[in-house]
Amino acid sequence: MVTALLILHGLVAVALLGAITHQTVAAWAPAGAGPKSFFGRFRAVPSPAFANAVVVLYAVSALLGGIVYLDFRIDVRPILERDGHWQAIGLFDLKEHFIAIGLGLLPAYWLSWRRPLAVSGWTRAAMTAVLAFIVWFGFLMGHVMNNILGFGS
Amino acid sequence: MTAPPKLHSFAFAYACAFAALYVIALFRDAALFTVYPSLGIVLWGSRHSRDVADPALGFLAPEMLWYGWAATAAIGAVPVGLVVALLPDRWTRRLWPVASWAVPVCAMIGCVYFELPWFRR
Repeated sequence: MVTALLILHGLVAVALLGAITHQTVAAWAPAGAGPKSFFGRFRAVPSPAFANAVVVLYAVSALLGGIVYLDFRIDVRPILERDGHWQAIGLFDLKEHFIAIGLGLLPAYWLSWRRPLAVSGWTRAAMTAVLAFIVWFGFLMGHVMNNILGFGS
Repeated sequence: MTAPPKLHSFAFAYACAFAALYVIALFRDAALFTVYPSLGIVLWGSRHSRDVADPALGFLAPEMLWYGWAATAAIGAVPVGLVVALLPDRWTRRLWPVASWAVPVCAMIGCVYFELPWFRR
């Protein structure tokens, strides 16, 4: 059951990663790239359309992570402590903290992307970048943690 | 339809207050509740297994404070958001463009500082 939830957590995180990365690049990248180039098409996505998806995926991913975290604390972390993976534990704790701060940021982020756009572009882009950093950090640290012990070990 | 300015003020103040309160909860060990996943119990406030008996209990009954820290921040940020939403818009209009991302970033830096002992081992 926990393995299934962990895989679902990972899949939701991949979808979230794609949505937030598209939106962040579209919000920050200069419009210089040609409209038919890969980069031009990548950044040409309608950014506000991603906001709802990002909020839902972030909330679902955090919820799934919060459930899986219970088993992590009992079954995985003691092994990491026994084997002296102190940096990994520190990085995972940071992931928790960043995810929580991102949860608090979600309402403001969502409102900032609502049409008509009432918040300045720079503020919106900065908040999106902070959220994107949190998502990328969480995703990578989740992978590091998963790969230290290996699947099913 | 544009969201009401008061809702904007509340959401931005909530984001800032949540981030700040989370770091305060972290440093002050102020979790609203503590979860003991192996025992399946939840206790009010910050509890540490080794407080009760001896350090070995930390392995037998590990405590989880993250949910409690997040709850402290989530609930504590509501009144802050409400108070700020009641302030005149002109007082806060210039604050949000910077505070909305700078406070969470500062909070994240605070979290890094909090976790530094793990990287010095």
